[in-house]
Amino acid sequence: MSKFLEVKNLKKYYETNRGTLHAVDGVSFSIEKGETMGVVGESGCGKSTLGQTILHLRKPTDGEIYFNGEDISKPNKKKRHDLCQHMQIIFQDPFSSLDPRMTVKQIISEPLKIFNAVKSKAELEERVSKLMETVGLARRFVNTYPHELDGGRRQRIGIARALALEPSFIVCDEPVSALDVSIQAQVLNLMQDLQAQLDLTYIFITHDLSVVKHISNNIMVMYLGVVVERTSSQGLFAAPLHPYTKALLSAIPHSDIDVPRERILLRGEISSPIEPPPGCRFAKRCNYATEKCFTEDPVLEEIYPGHEVACHNVKEINAIH
Amino acid sequence: MRTNETTKFLEVKNLVIHYETDNGVVEAVNNISFKMNRGETLSLVGETGAGKTTTALGLLNLVPNPPGRIIDGEILLNGENLLKMSPHQMQKIRGSKITMIFQDPMTSLNPIETVGDQISEVIRLHNKVSRAEAAQLACDMLEKVGIPAERYGDYPHQFSGGMKQRVVIAIALACDPELLISDEPTSALDVTIQAQVLDTMWQLKKELKTSMLMITHDLGVVAETSDNVAVMYAGEIVEYGTLRQVFKDTKHPYTQALFDSLPDINKNVQRLIPIKGLTPDPSSLPNYCSFYDRCKKRMEECKKTDPASVDVGDGHLVKCLLFASERSSHE
Repeated sequence: MSKFLEVKNLKKYYETNRGTLHAVDGVSFSIEKGETMGVVGESGCGKSTLGQTILHLRKPTDGEIYFNGEDISKPNKKKRHDLCQHMQIIFQDPFSSLDPRMTVKQIISEPLKIFNAVKSKAELEERVSKLMETVGLARRFVNTYPHELDGGRRQRIGIARALALEPSFIVCDEPVSALDVSIQAQVLNLMQDLQAQLDLTYIFITHDLSVVKHISNNIMVMYLGVVVERTSSQGLFAAPLHPYTKALLSAIPHSDIDVPRERILLRGEISSPIEPPPGCRFAKRCNYATEKCFTEDPVLEEIYPGHEVACHNVKEINAIH
Repeated sequence: MRTNETTKFLEVKNLVIHYETDNGVVEAVNNISFKMNRGETLSLVGETGAGKTTTALGLLNLVPNPPGRIIDGEILLNGENLLKMSPHQMQKIRGSKITMIFQDPMTSLNPIETVGDQISEVIRLHNKVSRAEAAQLACDMLEKVGIPAERYGDYPHQFSGGMKQRVVIAIALACDPELLISDEPTSALDVTIQAQVLDTMWQLKKELKTSMLMITHDLGVVAETSDNVAVMYAGEIVEYGTLRQVFKDTKHPYTQALFDSLPDINKNVQRLIPIKGLTPDPSSLPNYCSFYDRCKKRMEECKKTDPASVDVGDGHLVKCLLFASERSSHE
């Protein structure tokens, strides 16, 4: 049986004045229908580029993408256009991703018009109302402009727009990062409800580890364009194996003051993704780095069933035999 | 050096700050009072628009005027009312006695001046030292926040976000202030960098015995840094207490709701409990409890009166009728 979405060795490079920037460097994964794949990592690790490259919002440098068993790695213009009906994106910033000169109704109906998805004005009205109802936007906002609404409502417009063409796959790029916690919970619940109702498949990109744990089935941890660890959500938080994941998890400030914590402080900062030297990208900051780490690229290896890690020393670090 | 230990170090009494705009009066800070001891870290927690930043700007007398105006209240630093001071006197206090770290390190540094000069500028403004001495002190300060002194002559764009925030911290701590106000100091940073920066701030605060007013929306950061916590909602402090009182013996329905709406990394919750509705419009606040419309435990009486803060034990203050009645029934 073919996977719902399969990505093989996807690469996205940018040419800059200082050399080639490896934004996404050989990422492979697959997602089953109805599942949520969480992608976590710090700024500049290539998680947003990954999402946008899968949707062909950016042209991949290399690699293969299969959607419902069909090769969509190099779509022609028409194919690319048609794909929009099945694959959509929710952007991070509900302030800049909506056209300030369009009303809520215009924003939500734009995709419907582009794809001639409705036959009459009445039908358009009905679809827009239905979508607004689905995402919990009151009918009275239909003719308001985005600037009149708060962040939570604006993000709902973005979600309604993404849902307009009834896609089966949505890339959610930090959909709740710009929102306050009380509103964040509303939007996260909404997204989970919609997934259950409409059988949606999500890629959920975020830097917030507690959010990704809450919403994902599987999680990939990215560092400088490569996946360093991939496993189930439960598995990752119960027993992270990669030294970067360990440090990342230990760095989250948590609000339970009675849980003792041991923080692993990392040395230095994320290095440049331009012309990265051979070897493990994380080696410079790693507390366990050996000589091999600076010369040989580690590959993702299955350490436990369904738990893959890209680290030369994973067995020594975690005392696995 | 630092005398007057008996009086409270910082005391804010009935502070009211409004923004008077063409579209009406925005009541940003409504009658808040709190006290801080020397060396203490107090966190102001709340969501966007709760009035946290306005409160901080009020302490420095930096509320943009117009449209902002401090309507009423007293801010006593070592017993002296800052609001009664002349602009000149206030200028001497800002940067030496009270300093502030702003949220966004990208915009709070001067892009066309080297970071070293930006640090020595503060030192020379507030101390009688020569250029060379100030430069030396600035180098020491850079080393203290974990930046090699060789980078004195570099410009802000040559630094990463975490390093820039370290420079901002160095500027803020250069004159050994008594009170450091940090407005979301790590919100713009990645978690591993946030951990490093918080760690540096924590070390320096201990070393210099600085008091800190921490403004944040991140309850995790609060849990790791604070002695006391004040939860703000619609311009008011709705709950105040020690970290343990507020986090483990949560009283106010808003504070409780905040905790419930947070996905917890240590627990498996299938569904979050959001707070219904939105924060009230600060230009038309109700004359009863401002959390009434979103409150799960609201009662008939809540709509009749604006509750007063009551002490529910050991200085734990809660601004909610639920506890007013509880207390009166006890007495």
